[in-house]
Amino acid sequence: MISLKHRSETAFRLPGGLQSTLENRTFFKPSLIYVNRLTNTPLQAGGIVATDRLRRLRAMLLLRSFESALLRQPKPGFQLLSRGEEAIAVGICTALERTDPLLCSGRSIGMALARGVPAGGLLAELAGKDGGPNKGRAGRAHVSMPSVGLFGAHGVVGGNISVAAGVALAQQQLGTHAVTCCVFGDGACGAGSLHETLNVAALWQLPLLLICDNNGFAVSTSVRQGIAAPSLTDLATPFGVPAAAVDGTDVDAVVSATVDAAAAIRAGYGPRFLEMRCVRMGSHSTLTREERLAADVERFIESDPLLIYERRLRDDGVLDDERWVRIQAEVNEDIAEAEKFVEAASWPDPEAAMLDV
Amino acid sequence: MSKLFFREAIARAIAEEMVRDPRVILLGQDIAAHGGSYAETRGLFERFGPSRVRNTPVAEAVTVGLAAGAAAAGLRPLAFITYIDFLMLGLDPLVNYAAKLRFKSAGQLTAPMVVKATAGAKGQGPTHAQALDSWLMNVPGLTVVAPSTAGDAYGLLKTAIRSPGPVVYIDHKRLFPLGGEVPDSEQLIPLGSAAVRREGRHITIVAHSYMSVVALEASKQLAVAGIEADVIDLRSLWPIDWETLANSVRRTGNALFVEEGQTVCGVGAELAFGLQERVPGLRVARLGARRVPISASPVLESDAIPNAQRIVQSARRLLGQVAA
Repeated sequence: MISLKHRSETAFRLPGGLQSTLENRTFFKPSLIYVNRLTNTPLQAGGIVATDRLRRLRAMLLLRSFESALLRQPKPGFQLLSRGEEAIAVGICTALERTDPLLCSGRSIGMALARGVPAGGLLAELAGKDGGPNKGRAGRAHVSMPSVGLFGAHGVVGGNISVAAGVALAQQQLGTHAVTCCVFGDGACGAGSLHETLNVAALWQLPLLLICDNNGFAVSTSVRQGIAAPSLTDLATPFGVPAAAVDGTDVDAVVSATVDAAAAIRAGYGPRFLEMRCVRMGSHSTLTREERLAADVERFIESDPLLIYERRLRDDGVLDDERWVRIQAEVNEDIAEAEKFVEAASWPDPEAAMLDV
Repeated sequence: MSKLFFREAIARAIAEEMVRDPRVILLGQDIAAHGGSYAETRGLFERFGPSRVRNTPVAEAVTVGLAAGAAAAGLRPLAFITYIDFLMLGLDPLVNYAAKLRFKSAGQLTAPMVVKATAGAKGQGPTHAQALDSWLMNVPGLTVVAPSTAGDAYGLLKTAIRSPGPVVYIDHKRLFPLGGEVPDSEQLIPLGSAAVRREGRHITIVAHSYMSVVALEASKQLAVAGIEADVIDLRSLWPIDWETLANSVRRTGNALFVEEGQTVCGVGAELAFGLQERVPGLRVARLGARRVPISASPVLESDAIPNAQRIVQSARRLLGQVAA
C-alpha cells in the first residue's frame, strides 16, 4: 500500500551517502482511502457485489498476463509496461461509462486492455501488424479504439492533456453529458500543457477528469526531483479545481474515487483532478535499465495491486483456491488465443497506409 | 462582386460557415468582443455568442490542443494565432497530434480544424514578423494555404473550414488594410489550386501571400523594360498545384521563386526542385529573406526581405540581362 502522505516523507540517507531511490516511501495501509479536499470528508466506496470484485481481479490478472505474453513475443519492441499500475487502469475503466472518451499516455497497454480493446488486436497493434485496431500504425504509444471508448493514447508526455480539454469542450458544446478522462504520468506534471489546461478547464468548467498516474518516476527522475509542489494535487488547487490523492494500488479506491469525480463532473461541477499513487514495478520501458536500488525493488511486492487484491478477496471470503485457479485458467485461455491471433495476423500494406495521411 | 477589405472577407467567410454548420467554433486571443487583433472577427461574438466565439488565455499550446481535441471529437474549430511566430508554442498538438491523427488511428479519427495564423514583417521586430510557411509544408498530414487577395481569403477559408483538416491558413499583416473583389454569391476555392495573376512569356515569377502583391508590382516594372512575366500566386503551399506551375514554366523556361521567409529549405527550394524534375532544363532562381532575424528598425526590416526592386534584379539576372 502506498502512503498518501507526501511532504512528511523526508529523504533518508543510506550508508555511503546514497539516497534511497524511493525516498523513504512508507508502505502502510492508509486508513483513509480517498479524501475530498474541498470538504475534507472521506468518501467510501458503496457496497460492491462479489462478482464485480472478481471481475476487477480478473481484469488485473489479464493485464499482468498479457504483458508477460508480450515479453515472450519474438520481438516485444519498445514497450512501457503497466506492472504495478494495473489497479489504476482497471479501476478507472470500471468507473467510466462506455461513452466517456478516455485519453491516456504512452503507458497505454493496461488502459487499452481494461477499456476493452481485444487482447489479440492489441498484441497485433504492439507488434505493428495489420490486425491491430489501428492496423499496426499506432503501436503502444498511439493506440486508439473509439468504438470501445479508448479515444487514444498519445506518446508525447503531457501532449494528451490539452487535446483532452478539446475533447471535453466538444462534449460540452454538443451536450453529450460525457466525461472526458485523461490519464498521464507524474512526468507530465512538469509540462506546461497541464497548467495551461487546468486554467482553461477551470475557466470554462469543462467536463474533464484529469488523472495523474503517479508511479514515482519519470524514467529516472523522481517526483521530488522533478516537481516542486509538495503534492501533485497542489497543482490543481490554485485553479479552483478540486483535487484528491488516491491509493492507486487499491482498485476499489480507484473505482470509488473515479466514480465520485465523474459524477460531479457529469452533474456540471466542472473539472476534477485525481492523483493516483502507485509503484512502477519494472523499469521505465523494456529498453530502459533499472537504476533503483535492488532493496527497494524487492519491496515493490508490498505494493503489488494484484497481490493486495487477491489477499483482500480471500480475507473477505470472496475468493478461494478453486475460484482463483479457474480465473487463472480463463485468463490463460484468452492469452493463448491472443497469441494465436497475432501469429496469424498479416503485416500492413504500405500503399494502403498512404491513403490515410 | 463587392469590394471588401481583406479582414472583412475573412469575417464574412467565417460568419457564413458558422451559420451553415453549428459545429464551427472560434478559439483565440482577443477574438470575442474585441473583434480580433486585425478586426477580422468583428461582429462574430455579438452574432454567435460566447460559447462559439471563445477568447482564450495567452496560451497557444492549449489553444491549438483544444482545437485538435475538439476537432477529433466532432467540432470544426478555427483557432486564431495572432502572430505565426507563436504557433511554435502550439506546434506539438498540431504536428504531433492533429497532422498524424487520421494516419495513426487508421482513419477512425480526423482533426477537421483550421489554425489561422498571421505572418509577415511589419515593424514589430524579431518575434512578431516571421514567415514559417516552409516549416509547415514539411509535415505530412498538414494542408497549408496562404491567400493574397480578399477574394481568395474568403474562398480559401471557407474551403479550409469544410476540409477534413488540419489546415494552417496563413495571412499577412500587410494584407489586412488592402481591399479586393469578393463574389457576392458563395464561392469556394479548392485546396491545391494556384492562380495565374498575370500572363507573360519570358519568365515565371512564383510567390504567395503578401509577396504576390510585391511580385505583381515588380512585373509591371519588368514590363516597362520589355520583360513579360507570368505571375503565379501559389495560394496553397500544400498540396502544391504542380500542373499550373509546370504549364507556365514550360512556356517561359525561366522560374523565379519569391518568398518572404528564409530560402534555406524554403518554399522556393522545394518548388524549384519539383519543377526541374518535371520540366528538365528549366532555369531557376530564388529570392527570400536575408539570413538575419527581422528587426524592429524599418531600415533593417526592409533590407532583410524582398521588395519589387530586388525581384526585378533577380529576374533580369536569371534572364542574363545583368551580370550575376
